[in-house]
Amino acid sequence: MHEEKAPYGILAAPHNFHMDSGNDDALDIIITNVVATFKTRCHLNLRTIALEGVNVIYKPECGKVLMKLRKPKITASIWSSGKCICTGATSEDDAKRGARRLARCIQKLGFKVRFSAFKVVNVLAVCSMPFSVQLIDFTKNNRPIASYEPELHPAATYRIKHIKATIQVFSTGSITVTGPNVQNVATAVEEVYPLLFECKKPLRK
Amino acid sequence: MLSNTGPVAKLYLSIIDDVIESMRELYLDEGLEDRVLDDLRRIWEAKMMQSKAMEDFRKNNINSSNFVLQLPDSYGQIGRAHKATVVIPAGQSIHGFPNNSETLATFSLPAGLAYPVQIPAGVTLQTASGQLYKVNVPVVVTQAPMGQKPLSLQIQRAPAPQSTAAPPDTKLPQQVEPPPAPAPSVSQSPQADLPPSPESSPVQQPQVPTADATQLPVVPSPPAQENEPSAQPEPVNYSMTSSPCSQLLEEALAQTTQLKSRDIDDILKQVIEEEREKAERRRNLPPARTQDQTEAVLAGLGLDYSYSELSDIVQLDGPPDNSDAEEEGGAPLEENDFLGIINAEAIKALQEGGGSSDGNSLSSSSDSEGADKLSAEDEDPLNSGDDVIEQDIPDLFDTDNVIVCQYDKIHRSKNRWKFHLKDGVMCYAGRDYVFSKAVGEAEW
Repeated sequence: MHEEKAPYGILAAPHNFHMDSGNDDALDIIITNVVATFKTRCHLNLRTIALEGVNVIYKPECGKVLMKLRKPKITASIWSSGKCICTGATSEDDAKRGARRLARCIQKLGFKVRFSAFKVVNVLAVCSMPFSVQLIDFTKNNRPIASYEPELHPAATYRIKHIKATIQVFSTGSITVTGPNVQNVATAVEEVYPLLFECKKPLRK
Repeated sequence: MLSNTGPVAKLYLSIIDDVIESMRELYLDEGLEDRVLDDLRRIWEAKMMQSKAMEDFRKNNINSSNFVLQLPDSYGQIGRAHKATVVIPAGQSIHGFPNNSETLATFSLPAGLAYPVQIPAGVTLQTASGQLYKVNVPVVVTQAPMGQKPLSLQIQRAPAPQSTAAPPDTKLPQQVEPPPAPAPSVSQSPQADLPPSPESSPVQQPQVPTADATQLPVVPSPPAQENEPSAQPEPVNYSMTSSPCSQLLEEALAQTTQLKSRDIDDILKQVIEEEREKAERRRNLPPARTQDQTEAVLAGLGLDYSYSELSDIVQLDGPPDNSDAEEEGGAPLEENDFLGIINAEAIKALQEGGGSSDGNSLSSSSDSEGADKLSAEDEDPLNSGDDVIEQDIPDLFDTDNVIVCQYDKIHRSKNRWKFHLKDGVMCYAGRDYVFSKAVGEAEW
């Protein structure tokens, strides 16, 4: 099914809620994208990287070089200040490994690279509820936290402030979760599940 | 000459003409002889033909005989009136193709060069059709009455260690076949004592040639002979033993025409000339130097355009190098003038990459100072040198297929690339192609 994405299964049955979910199956949270940044602590000559690097795209109009890695499928934007942003990883580990590999590639081109300040900035995951959700009810129940503008976007947005996660709920029951790290994402799903369960549409999928 | 060449070769030859002509004045101003310029042209054309001639000649000569060498007038063959000429580069290969005047060859066989023709060892011959022969043992080709046994004598063949652009194996039987009906035969003198490197002296040891057309005792010689691997064609896996060779020769004798024999004759004559000239030139100037120059010229000619064009890109982003800051009196980065930043960047970009590592070390030290002030949370796992794994898949294919061109549009979606190119030359599978428009797709 989801070969490329790393499944992150969690227990879906919210035992602490009195809800009669009757659902003991684990919900598969699939991480689709991990964005991380790191610094090389040295100024980089983008032209050198563009000319001599392998699998690079030079974007002088944006002032950056894109370097794509195959093995952890990662695309990195490299700025001349030495700051790099890596996107496309499917797990935090993957992101770190890819970032290090990237730093190694740059180092091999002759720059005095020091791998520092590695930080996972964003994690994007998707999850699918086994039921459809009535978005209007969901928004009404969670008035300040959830927002829904059907004319703008077909999903209701639910922001959990204390873990800084954003969840977009679609009427089909699929949700996308973005957060600063994988743990937060998992927590967010756990938190939102019962709320969604409350508003599930009568037709069972 | 041009009648035998394809469109690509025509283009290249016209380029050579242009360049040589435009440089002629310069050369004269510098006080160099015309001869040097002609040498350059000769070498250049030889190299070009050698690397590419295969395709063109092969393409053009599929229907015609294997040896399209033009014959000297004295032979009066096939109505061709050109003088047989040779292009003898500093390397060891010679090309015979018709010369219609001032352009190609500097060595033309004296018309009416009579047999016997002596071919010193270590010479590489190439026919116009692209066949390559390497003579490892000195031979002498003479005319002989027909019907004589061919080379069943002491032909020594050794496997060809070097391989460059050489005609495919399939050519080999063809090659051996066309030797003329009159039995050519070249016998070699006992060559055990002959040095494998004939450069020292054109060894002329008269052999006992017997045939009208010569069979080339092609024996590959060690590649290290002249340090010119590119100039040494592989004698096409001439690793036959003498007996199959003689069989082939016998067949060939029975089949080939006189025309072809003449072609081989010419080649051999040319080889001798070449050897003489080579010896002479070696006395005059080191051929290696000429070779290097030529190679440098050839290399520099077409293939560095992209680089020189790219060098005009100036990097205007990012903070300035600390090296520049130091020039301005060591002022900290933040205090630099914005204009100064741009200038510093421009200067830095125009300088060669050698300065980049110096700049990096200097800037990194200043960066670390700044970083300490900024935040204390910067981890610095400095072990990137040890830990980081090399890229698992190194360059999958360091291919020799190259395209040098201009682009109209290059587009990418995820990992699908689309190319709209124009005005380019590409070298694919050893052959050169020229295009004015090219469209391509690729997946990364």
